[in-house]
Amino acid sequence: MKARILIFLLASFVSAQLFAQFGPDNGVKASTPKYILIQHAIIMVKPGQTLQDADLLLQNGKIVQVGKNLKQDGAVALDYTGKVLVPSFIDMYSSVGLDPVTFKNNGWRPQLTSNKEGAYYWNEAVHPELTAAAAYKSTENSSEQLQQSGFGFVLTHHMDGIVRGSAAFVALGQAEVHKQILAPQAAQVYSFSKGASQQTYPSSQMGAIALLRQALYDLDYYSKNKASLPYSVSLSEWESQRNLPIIFKTDDKLEILRAQKIANEFKTNFLYIGSGNEYAIANELKGFKIVLPLVFPEAYEVNDPYLAREIPLSELKHWESAPSNAMLLKKEGLDIALTSFGLKNAEQFWTALRKAMARGLAPSDAMAALTTVPANWMGLSAQVGTLESGKLASFSVFSADPFAYEAQLLETWSLGEARYWKSANTVQLLGNYTLRIADATYELVVTGSPEKPQGKVLLKTASDTLSAKATIQLKQQDVSIQFLALNTPNPQLIQLHAKALKNGLVLEGEGTDAKGAWFHWSAIQQQTTPVSPPIALKPDTTVYGQVWFPNMAFGTTAKATQETLVFKNATVWTNEKEGVLKGADVLVVDGKIKQVSRQNIAVPAGARVVDATGLHLTSGIIDEHSHIAISRGVNEGGQAISAEVSIADVVNPDDIDIYRQLAGGVTAAQLLHGSANPIGGQSALVKLKWGVSAEDMLIDNAPHFIKCALGENVKQANWGDFNTVRFPQTRMGVEQVFYDGFYRAKAYQKEWDAFKAGKTKVAPRVDLELEVLSDILRSSCFITCHSYIQSEINMLMHVADSMGFRINTFTHILEGYKVADKMYKHGVAGSTFSDWWAYKFEVNDAIPYNAALMSEQGVVVCINSDDAEMGRRLNQEAAKTVKYGGLSEEEAWKLVTLNPAKALHLEAQMGSVKAGKAADLVLWTANPLSIEARVSMTMVDGVVYYEEKQQTEKQAQNEQERTRILSLMLAANERGEASKTPQKKVKKHFHCDTLGEEATETENSH
Amino acid sequence: MKAILFFSILLLHFSSMAQSILLLHGTAHIGNGTVMESAAIGVVNDRIVFVKNSLTQTFNNKDWDTIINCNGQHFYPGLVSANNTLGLTEIDAVRATRDFNDVGDWNPHVRAQVAYNVESKVVETVRTNGVLLVQATPRGGWISGSSAVMKLSGWNWEDATVLADDGIHLNWPYDRNTYQAQKRAIYAFFEMAKTYAMAREAQASDLRLEAMKACFKGQKRVYIHAESIQQIVDVIDFAAAFQLPYPVIVGGHDAHLVGAKLRDSKIPIMLSRIHSLPQREDELTYLPYQMPALLKQQGISFCIQNDGDMQPMNTRNLPFQAGTTMAYGLSEEEALKAISLSVCQIMGIDKDYGTLEVGKKATFFVSKGPALDMRSNQLTTILVDGKFVSTSNFQEQLYLKYRQKYKDEAKSE
Repeated sequence: MKARILIFLLASFVSAQLFAQFGPDNGVKASTPKYILIQHAIIMVKPGQTLQDADLLLQNGKIVQVGKNLKQDGAVALDYTGKVLVPSFIDMYSSVGLDPVTFKNNGWRPQLTSNKEGAYYWNEAVHPELTAAAAYKSTENSSEQLQQSGFGFVLTHHMDGIVRGSAAFVALGQAEVHKQILAPQAAQVYSFSKGASQQTYPSSQMGAIALLRQALYDLDYYSKNKASLPYSVSLSEWESQRNLPIIFKTDDKLEILRAQKIANEFKTNFLYIGSGNEYAIANELKGFKIVLPLVFPEAYEVNDPYLAREIPLSELKHWESAPSNAMLLKKEGLDIALTSFGLKNAEQFWTALRKAMARGLAPSDAMAALTTVPANWMGLSAQVGTLESGKLASFSVFSADPFAYEAQLLETWSLGEARYWKSANTVQLLGNYTLRIADATYELVVTGSPEKPQGKVLLKTASDTLSAKATIQLKQQDVSIQFLALNTPNPQLIQLHAKALKNGLVLEGEGTDAKGAWFHWSAIQQQTTPVSPPIALKPDTTVYGQVWFPNMAFGTTAKATQETLVFKNATVWTNEKEGVLKGADVLVVDGKIKQVSRQNIAVPAGARVVDATGLHLTSGIIDEHSHIAISRGVNEGGQAISAEVSIADVVNPDDIDIYRQLAGGVTAAQLLHGSANPIGGQSALVKLKWGVSAEDMLIDNAPHFIKCALGENVKQANWGDFNTVRFPQTRMGVEQVFYDGFYRAKAYQKEWDAFKAGKTKVAPRVDLELEVLSDILRSSCFITCHSYIQSEINMLMHVADSMGFRINTFTHILEGYKVADKMYKHGVAGSTFSDWWAYKFEVNDAIPYNAALMSEQGVVVCINSDDAEMGRRLNQEAAKTVKYGGLSEEEAWKLVTLNPAKALHLEAQMGSVKAGKAADLVLWTANPLSIEARVSMTMVDGVVYYEEKQQTEKQAQNEQERTRILSLMLAANERGEASKTPQKKVKKHFHCDTLGEEATETENSH
Repeated sequence: MKAILFFSILLLHFSSMAQSILLLHGTAHIGNGTVMESAAIGVVNDRIVFVKNSLTQTFNNKDWDTIINCNGQHFYPGLVSANNTLGLTEIDAVRATRDFNDVGDWNPHVRAQVAYNVESKVVETVRTNGVLLVQATPRGGWISGSSAVMKLSGWNWEDATVLADDGIHLNWPYDRNTYQAQKRAIYAFFEMAKTYAMAREAQASDLRLEAMKACFKGQKRVYIHAESIQQIVDVIDFAAAFQLPYPVIVGGHDAHLVGAKLRDSKIPIMLSRIHSLPQREDELTYLPYQMPALLKQQGISFCIQNDGDMQPMNTRNLPFQAGTTMAYGLSEEEALKAISLSVCQIMGIDKDYGTLEVGKKATFFVSKGPALDMRSNQLTTILVDGKFVSTSNFQEQLYLKYRQKYKDEAKSE
């Protein structure tokens, strides 16, 4: 890689002065050959088509013709015997030629509005006005590693923000910069990453999703109503890009599915830049176009078992599978492209690409992924991707087929101009020579490789053979040799220089001896060592493991399926008027409870029978307030109102806490936005299922819920002294935020109503925030409100009453017992903790009798967790209401089952053991309220996701898989592959007040 | 419910004058793993004078100032919460009430005893679930400070004290990148402290090193907070290197993996909160619940403690944390022992506390049902060093107040 000897053999002829736009030449106009004819090469025209001993005719940076025995009068002919021509690769994800993004630090105080001066979009992460072509600088040097990897074209863009602006399609190399820009506006680029913007919004992935959607609606509105709207640089520029392909950069496999929802909403398509773990959901990605990175995770150093055990199986499995990503996606029938993004140099690129091929990515697919596929996706097939006539003359020259051998890249040609990276080995020195210096005759033995010859000089005397090491350098045809004279008492340096003639058969030149005297010498090759052929790439024959569902500890090798199942002789807590039935049978068919009976139920053919004698069967626990299984941020705290965001957009099905909740008998949950602002975000109502997609976790036709919040969190009371900027900072202000939001929503509704009734002609702007607030006013979206003290509880009920809707649920509601009568009258449910208090000022009057007192007043009461740990023993939490306030056991049990089903408007399908309801059932080893109860089995929609008796087996399976992969990793360590030290990773959790995209280890302050 | 309340109010009335108390006909859970059905417990002044079978004995009513018939109820020794900030903080989020973490890395001299707020409202709500002693423990730094064993009842910290400065708390390093350097720093500090402690001639007074002295002489324990295997094996070496008379490991998440070594070292474990999630994604879901049984099987002495999120208020759930282990391999009496006698043994106060045995302090309670199950943990009598303590708290008072409000309003309608 260090060979940076750029010999511009042809550059002066082919240089691009011709294309300098209208600038004056200094001196006479540069000359260029009219035609260049490359002869006798091996030409890989396109994937699947290679011509042996073929010619390529170039003119003006384009391919005129490819074929055998081409002739062209006036062409400069070049002999490329044995060399391999490969079309230049295309990288669709790059920022080459552009200045790096700078991150400004605006200090500690939150920045709520844009700091950009000028008529731009209100959010700094949306900057469609940035055009890569306008900022592009020639990449002759900055793209050296890309060129040496074989890339000749890249799509370059400002790698920052959510709406990033337009990307330019450029040719790499030394052509004049105007010429390099092949398509100034070739694509636009989006992502979910806010980038360098310091604005508070968005602070979460769901916020980024909402912002992108809103911006797309704004774009649409702007282009329809430009004439009457103030000018926007951003929207105006964006409008001009509307027909360009859209590249979407993702950081995780799940982001592809999330982005696709947006593509569907706006009836468009995205080309995805993947993150490397797509293989784990390959079956969900059919038909997607994904550019895969070739960055594979480094191995860990695993020689210390104390440390090795800190590596989660999920990471081990990803390490193992990542290089197979491309192969596995191809296997699913996807078209894939490849990017070198994230790789530091050409060596890394080729190592990674060869690894992917060794794992079964077919050479022709690899080549296509770098040439024809991206050309096709970008609509540039007429110019790039193959070496066919009419296309741009951009290709790389290799010493052999790089998809089959460990070939060397020798030259890159860009738009008909060559750049030489490595000297071609025109001279072959390996062999034995007879070396004559003056009257002495030596034997010179040249070994090593053609690129790096090594030498030895032998002198036969009467009694002995003397030997000395000789240093040999070969530059084109010039050979220099140094060695220490053999027959002198003191070491005497002899230096020789020669021209290699007749392909190295004869060396002839001058030299100096120790005294500095010049002499003539020559050497004639007596015996030639044949050059070994290029090293063929070997397929990796290691047996690799399977992808699990999910691909981590406790995952399964096949997705779990519904069972027909009969529980025999159970104690069934029906939650219906029948109460607790002893000795009852329950039949489950097609995911539903088919029959509940104290009579013996006949076992259908093929059904599994579970002897539940002595065991208790209940409907599953429903956690009304949970923050598990969420990706990248539980709070969109960037603004006081963020109704537009939704947890349903960011459900993460790979969270181990899902499995842990199942182990605690939880079958459904409301995944709530946090409590960082008065009107937070929409909920995801999910069933807890293990090894399924996020989409499959979402409850079908679930009612629409949103989280609101009151008190210390929304007024940022415990967030430090610098957080005193955002309104509101008092409970007085909180009330006004609600009124403001709802008044604006009313006006919004009115505008739309008028339009829909035909009274106005122009469709009003779509405002995602006000859409949701309008839904609240229309009672088609229900509020679950985080609340603590009675004044704020009372206040919000007044707000709702005055606006003509009902608060659905107060969550936490720790002073609900003080206003339980008002709550009952309003018709709001209370979802509370069993006994938490003392964690902040506003919970001083929290009492564990709260649930009982509210229940006595007729309020629908739930006990919730808000905590992944407590979530898996909600049965114990429910049992505490027997102690505090004396609820009956059946009433207590309903607090975590039937009542949350009611509060969530799901009681028609879950919450009790009744024929027709979903088979969300839990089998307990004892009375579920007992301190000694354990979960024996948890089933959701008739699928058994957890069985206690399988845990030993599961652990063994985890350990076996760990050991298997660790031994592969150890072998990688021994091969000297790059590695890193394991660190203990404490699983982090989201709480109500967690800000930003990352979960934390901080204490839960709810 | 009404009856219990009446009962507790009655007790309040004669709380100060009781000199001798006889409790009859309860199931006595001794705290050492045994149980006595139909027990009678005699208390004179602050001590238990007998624990006998109440059916085979006759008692002269005149001998007793107070006789309580506990027919069918259960007697338990006062539960003990080790390694806790209870009494050192009132409201987690309010800085003004946080008195458990001072500035500095080496703070053996800061003493929890003097900051312990015996009138804490949190203390009151913990006591009513049966936890009657706490090891008030500072946090932060490498050496957080000196803890103190305190009663959950008293007029001031002086008379609430069971054992002042019972030990220092050392937080063993865990960061892989700085581990060796930090370990060295700890060794260096202990070398200095031991030299100071063992010097024959009086040294220039040094607050830190004075506070360390007793650690080497057996009057003060060294509580070392450590979780992973690497930490635990290094702590075993460390304790041996300094010949610490009473080292204790606090936490011990991986202790079950180095059982033999721990058993040989005789270092006891104050086990992490039972109600916690596994620390690693791959660990068995209920590993924290199984830990006590795993340690028991390997013959390691242990007790259960409650360090973690919102620990002061959560201390009232200590009985249920122990109770949870009953479904995972401990018997009811073993579970109780892990929060009574075992804690007292590890802290060195078992001569006076931890069981219902003759000669021990009369610090115990009576519950209507099994106290380790939340449904039946309903206290009817609490004694701390022979003195009656209210079984009600301000939360119950608020409950009654608002319940009454609704009753009154219902009547007037």
